[in-house]
Amino acid sequence: MNREMLTRDIYGNIDSVSKVIFYILSAAALACCAAGIWHHVRRWRREGRPFGSPSSPAFDWKGIFSRFWTRVLSQTALRRGRVGAGWMHSLLFWGFAVLFLGTVLVSTEYYAATLLGRTAGDPLFHKGLYFAIFECVLDLAGLALIAGIVWFAIRRARGTSSMAHQGSDWLVIGLLISLGITGYCLEGGRIVLEQTPAPALSPVGYVCSLPIAAADPGPAVVGRMHRTFWWIHALLALGLVAIFPYSRLLHALAGTVRLMATPRALGSMEPISIEQVELAGFIGVDRLEHLTCLQRIELHACVACGRCQDVCPAHIAKKPLSPRDVVQDLRFQLDQWTRSADTNTDPGAVSQQSLCGAVIADETLWACTTCGACEDICPLDVGPLTFITDMRRFFVGDGRFRGAPAAALARMQRSGNPWGLPAEDRLNWAQDLDIRTAADGGDSDLLYWVGCAAAYDPNCQRIARSMVRLLQRANVPFTVLGNEERCTGDSARRMGDEFVFQELATRNIETLHRYGIKKIVTHCPHCLNSLRNDYPQFGGLFDVVHHSELLLDLIETGRLPIDGSDLFNHSAAIRATYHDPCYLARIQRISQPPRQVLDHLLTHGHLSERIEMARHGRETACCGGGGGRMWFDDTPSDRIGIDRFDEVVATGADTVAVGCPFCKIMFHDAASDRGSSIQVRDIAELLAEKILQ
Amino acid sequence: MKILVPIKRVPDPDHRIRVDLQRIALELSDVPHIINPFDANALEEAVRIREGPVPDAEIIAIGIGDPAWQQELRTSLAMGADRAIHVGVSGPPDPWNVARILRAITERESPDLVLMGKQAVDDDSNQAGQFVAGLLGWPQATFVSQIEFIPLDPEPSIAGHQLRVARETDTGIETIRLRLPAVITADLRLNEPRYAALPAILKAKRKPIETIPLTELNIELSPRVERIALQEVSSSRKCQYVQSVDELLDQLFLNRCL
Ligand code: SF4
Ligand code: SF4
Repeated sequence: MNREMLTRDIYGNIDSVSKVIFYILSAAALACCAAGIWHHVRRWRREGRPFGSPSSPAFDWKGIFSRFWTRVLSQTALRRGRVGAGWMHSLLFWGFAVLFLGTVLVSTEYYAATLLGRTAGDPLFHKGLYFAIFECVLDLAGLALIAGIVWFAIRRARGTSSMAHQGSDWLVIGLLISLGITGYCLEGGRIVLEQTPAPALSPVGYVCSLPIAAADPGPAVVGRMHRTFWWIHALLALGLVAIFPYSRLLHALAGTVRLMATPRALGSMEPISIEQVELAGFIGVDRLEHLTCLQRIELHACVACGRCQDVCPAHIAKKPLSPRDVVQDLRFQLDQWTRSADTNTDPGAVSQQSLCGAVIADETLWACTTCGACEDICPLDVGPLTFITDMRRFFVGDGRFRGAPAAALARMQRSGNPWGLPAEDRLNWAQDLDIRTAADGGDSDLLYWVGCAAAYDPNCQRIARSMVRLLQRANVPFTVLGNEERCTGDSARRMGDEFVFQELATRNIETLHRYGIKKIVTHCPHCLNSLRNDYPQFGGLFDVVHHSELLLDLIETGRLPIDGSDLFNHSAAIRATYHDPCYLARIQRISQPPRQVLDHLLTHGHLSERIEMARHGRETACCGGGGGRMWFDDTPSDRIGIDRFDEVVATGADTVAVGCPFCKIMFHDAASDRGSSIQVRDIAELLAEKILQ
Repeated sequence: MKILVPIKRVPDPDHRIRVDLQRIALELSDVPHIINPFDANALEEAVRIREGPVPDAEIIAIGIGDPAWQQELRTSLAMGADRAIHVGVSGPPDPWNVARILRAITERESPDLVLMGKQAVDDDSNQAGQFVAGLLGWPQATFVSQIEFIPLDPEPSIAGHQLRVARETDTGIETIRLRLPAVITADLRLNEPRYAALPAILKAKRKPIETIPLTELNIELSPRVERIALQEVSSSRKCQYVQSVDELLDQLFLNRCL
């Protein structure tokens, strides 16, 4: 067959009256869509925020463009965690994108050909090989779309996922399915009616054409049938366009914008200065207008898929917090604001309504451990945690915070540590160890940052003692700040007290600069994150490593030799599992070094087994101690993270290795609460126990 | 309704305090200070009274001490006091003189309620509240862990607001009724005081602190208590494991504990 003949008529069988009606309806649908989008954009753009970096970053077009490929089109983040749903959404999205692109191409052909005065049978480019590929790809894209949407319909009907439902979701699903089906019926009709050449190029459409061809009702009936399908298909498509900004489909726009914008950096927070607060009269977020533009877009990007809720340790522990609902409740509020124009309510009244304590309950704000799991898992890069910490800032700044955690904040401010103990006691743990402080002229480029937990908590002091003995064995010169060290302020910042944090941070940075410190090692992931992510905002640039990284390096370079244990003495060997601290594995992405240290012990027979838990690495589960939760006095069995301890015990390990003093304290308490004999050890403790006599 | 809340600035009890034996004084230069925790309870309760039953209540925080006390008064304003009065004296007077000053302030301000901590955690005297009530001839309720506003008594002889309060005594909770004006001293379990973060303190900057010199109150301090010596108590402890009750008894006996 002549390749040139491979084409089809666009708008074949559609009379000009129908076309005119179709154009009028299209204009109406587009207008409806545009109006809805404009309503949202108006709210997104409104800036009432008195904080933030004064100079907005320059548009980095290259980054924006590349993120369109890597984060939007690829749909990678979506397939993390929920593989099935992720692939199905990818199919749906790719199918829809291809069909949309196809529609654009067909219209281009049609209008270009019309403009050039070509006749119906003489297309510009919609012919030949291009046509063959086009028909085939579009036909399969429809299949992908239908497969995806049917999966979602079934999942939604079964209601097993933590996805939140809203009435219009079924409308969207219904429209998409019928759009796909009528598309094929329409194609089948056209194949029979126009005797399209090589119909098998559109396999599904061809299959649909077979029964029609078999019944052979005559061209008039087929023509009427085709027109009917065409109209249904067109109306469905226009309906979809019209409801786009009013349904969850809006996430396609808001989510694309969010994903193309600067990606979220886990573990960092926006600094706010005292001057800004004095000017504004408050700090943080209490009203919709205090949100950033991007945050408001995020509220519309969220599809309430519930992935964040599934991984939220506070939600798992049945605390009144679901990150999904935090976002959706705020979104509801934003929609009220958007709609206020139509419902004749005073928009000011909605935008100025207090969010803290009203829309988002106090207990919700304070249940969060700032573990970052929600933000890490969200396929649309929405930041539930950031909404929470922003509102905490307002709450604390408004003087509403009280109780044990507030007392911890007050202690950090007065005493420079949450335990409230005198700074002169900071080195009590090291009384019999020969270590030099920077002040007594200890001269070394490495500083060991001890942190408050290891300075004051008797159980955690062992971590520091082990570290010191290991460093001394490896002949690594180091100093400590001793009495001059103060809390890094990590939990103060995450509890929303920016200024207690800033006071501590500037004081620490000043001390570190005074001694010319460049390189820091710490066993505390919270200190690590604060030193790496928070301190540079205030001029503190240091090279900071976790002790697991340093210890691994010392082992692998032979400076910390591990002798083989008596391999026959298996009763002495322990079965260990390693628990990843959130701030280490998820936020700082350090999960291999601690395991490798343990594996060195394993190969030398000091461990008999290293067991891996299901939730590990970046997917780890929180011990419950972060974000200031450490200072809440709930009983151990009600604590967030008790499920993680149970998971640890279920491995059958007799020792749980940790890399964070908070995890150690939380698990230690959980073990006594559960009456478990499991040992909780920092990797430095394990290493020191096994290789130093 | 006016509520007077005296605020004492005390050294942070978390910190180790040294005794300056020469001066017979405490070495406090490096020690952070806080609002006496019981006074914080009193202030919190005053704020709750305003947030709850008596929305038009005016809360006045009073500090009696050197200029450094202004810091605690600022914190009190951030916690919710409407204004503050600072009575300038060189050091905190003894409870009797504190009570005399408070009487003078009370006569100036004529409050309906003096709500204060049951004692200060530095000297643990537990006298000022009782002295004030005595000097004013007002009813008093000490060690209060609950305050409740109740409807006016129909009996005409009792006018004004009435309170039902729970007192923590050694033998249990005693519930009493009293009529305003009155003096109430707060116990720890009365409430959980709120935390005044910097933004709240900044916001409270606009609230006034009035400074009154002692002379203006026509008071000459006449201490009734004289400090004659201070001694540091050793907090170091010796731990020892014993195997049996008998051994425990022996050890207690040997160490002159029995
Ligand atoms: S925030 Fe992200 S993960 Fe959570 S429900 Fe919304 S879209 Fe899903
Ligand atoms: S940071 Fe962690 S605890 Fe907080 S909302 Fe997110 S998942 Fe939940």
